[in-house]
Amino acid sequence: MARIELVGLSKSFGNVVAVRDLSLTIEDGEFVVLVGPSGCGKTTTLRMIAGFVDASAGEIRIDGRVVNDLEPRDRGLGMVFQTHALFPHKTVMQNIEFGLRMKRVPAPERAQRVREVADMVHISHLLDQMPGQCSGGEAQRVALARTLVTQPSTFLLDEPLSSLDAKLRRELRAECDRLHQALKRTFIYVTHDQEEAMTLADRIVVMRAGEIVQVGTPMEIYSNPVNYFVADFFGSPSMNLLAGEIVQVDGTARFRATSFELDLPERFKAAESGAATLGIRPEHVGVTLGGKGDIELPVRLVEPLGRDTLLYFDAGTERAFVAVSEGLDMADVKVGVRMALSLDPRRLYLFDADGRRLAPP
Amino acid sequence: MRKSRRRRLTAIMRYVLLTAWAIVAFFPIFWMISTSFKPDTQWFAWPPVYFPHPPTLSNYLNVWFGAEEYAATQYAISSQKPLISLLNSTIIAGTATLLSVLFGAVMAYGVSRYRILSETRMFQLLMLRMIPPIVIVAPLSLYYSTLGLLDSMTGLILIYFLTSLPYAVWMTKSFIDEVPREIEQAAEILGASRWRTIFEIVLPLIRSGLVATFLFILILTWSEYLLALIITKTQVTTLPIELSKYQGSTEGRVYGRQAALAVGITIPLMIVGLIIRKHLARGFSFGMVRR
Repeated sequence: MARIELVGLSKSFGNVVAVRDLSLTIEDGEFVVLVGPSGCGKTTTLRMIAGFVDASAGEIRIDGRVVNDLEPRDRGLGMVFQTHALFPHKTVMQNIEFGLRMKRVPAPERAQRVREVADMVHISHLLDQMPGQCSGGEAQRVALARTLVTQPSTFLLDEPLSSLDAKLRRELRAECDRLHQALKRTFIYVTHDQEEAMTLADRIVVMRAGEIVQVGTPMEIYSNPVNYFVADFFGSPSMNLLAGEIVQVDGTARFRATSFELDLPERFKAAESGAATLGIRPEHVGVTLGGKGDIELPVRLVEPLGRDTLLYFDAGTERAFVAVSEGLDMADVKVGVRMALSLDPRRLYLFDADGRRLAPP
Repeated sequence: MRKSRRRRLTAIMRYVLLTAWAIVAFFPIFWMISTSFKPDTQWFAWPPVYFPHPPTLSNYLNVWFGAEEYAATQYAISSQKPLISLLNSTIIAGTATLLSVLFGAVMAYGVSRYRILSETRMFQLLMLRMIPPIVIVAPLSLYYSTLGLLDSMTGLILIYFLTSLPYAVWMTKSFIDEVPREIEQAAEILGASRWRTIFEIVLPLIRSGLVATFLFILILTWSEYLLALIITKTQVTTLPIELSKYQGSTEGRVYGRQAALAVGITIPLMIVGLIIRKHLARGFSFGMVRR
């Protein structure tokens, strides 16, 4: 069990700052996901926690103890790598028991513990094989077992599923979740996949350019993004973001885009005039055939997915304005038809020219 | 039709050239083997005798077992010295090569992972080996006489080890570079010390490369002549030195004996090569670590 504190952590490689003054406390037993685009510093942060990268400044504490100067093996952590990093010249069995051997656990106990974890991640039938004979999913299970068997206080997972195909990813994602529930250990998981972050995390840490942008539960991050970047990063299909400007007309704030104008709800009354971006998630856009709405846009593309239908509208921008309609009612809508769209006023977001959210709740 | 004909012609030309080159390359080896089985009257015969008739083992028996009764010739020189030289060569070349590969691999690890030498320094290291050995012979024999290393196995092992170390570092570094860093980090975080990681993870992973390096350096040290000639006198003789002794001021070159000895020098290397051939193919093709 471990509580991990990062205090003012920084890392530079020459002139390049990979992580800048990062502070974060990860509670004991928590599942925290570090997420962000490539180069945002999430992996560097994880590697600093593991001890593979020395911090340029700041402290890493595990259960209150500063571990900056400790070797990776003395930090009591376990790590699963993106590339699995199995030892190719050892059998699956030897791979899994490696950590126990290093800790001088007697052979009979080793054998028993290896069998236990192999059962836990369903790879008992692979024990005599070489890693080269395992499929990608199997190899990642072996890597997981190799870490599990040493019973680390904290699991560090560096994009463990990114080399697998979609189905396997879902399967192993569920496995990670199950393990976390069962083991009640601290998990720190790095990914660039927002969907993985949303489904796995107790708390998500969104990073960009070496800094934390927002920390929160998946629902907080999804419903209350602090800025344009977070709003855009989470959600699939992602949030509709339309560039335009806020204008004050007779004491009411209005949003003016290239193809429509819209009265803004009461809470944006005080918004200053000027360039801004309007945001609304596709599921909060109401579509009616022949009805009345807040705005009217022509259909660019219809994508019937079965359970829902995605409607892409032309808002005069390169990126289409997307709406989700339940079922297949809208599947036959013709391209070019102008449709009325209602925008849920409670779910409207506005971002200023610097991408900051205006009038957050 | 024309295209396929041209292609066939190119193929024929290619094989003709390759065959011609193979003949040029293999002829000395053929001549060595053939001569080793020739009776003394056929060594210098003109027109040349390509296949000994009748073939005789007397050269081998004389050279390797000092059996003069088999020689039946005035050129019988040797006692059992070649066998002692074989033993010396085995000990000297084997030990120097082993040391060189072992230390080279550990140094290469430092270069690959900790950049203890820059690219320039690495190149300079290899440049050291480009100095012709004759240049260092005089100062080296001075050092050696002061240190009491002249005419000793230790002296030869030491100088072979030092002169082949640059090759070992260069070759093994390229293999270590291929080992993904994450495999080592996995071992480290599981509790392995750095040395343990090197010996239990890295070196076994590059074993094919180590074997290739071993053979390459063994060939160099096994057949080294100049340094051995200067540093050894009477106590220690290696096979190449022994080989050069088969000529006298009155007898001229004793070709048959020399050939029999040369075959004996070549065979151990070929045996080593055969034993490790599985690794050689992989070692020389690099990229042997499955990611």
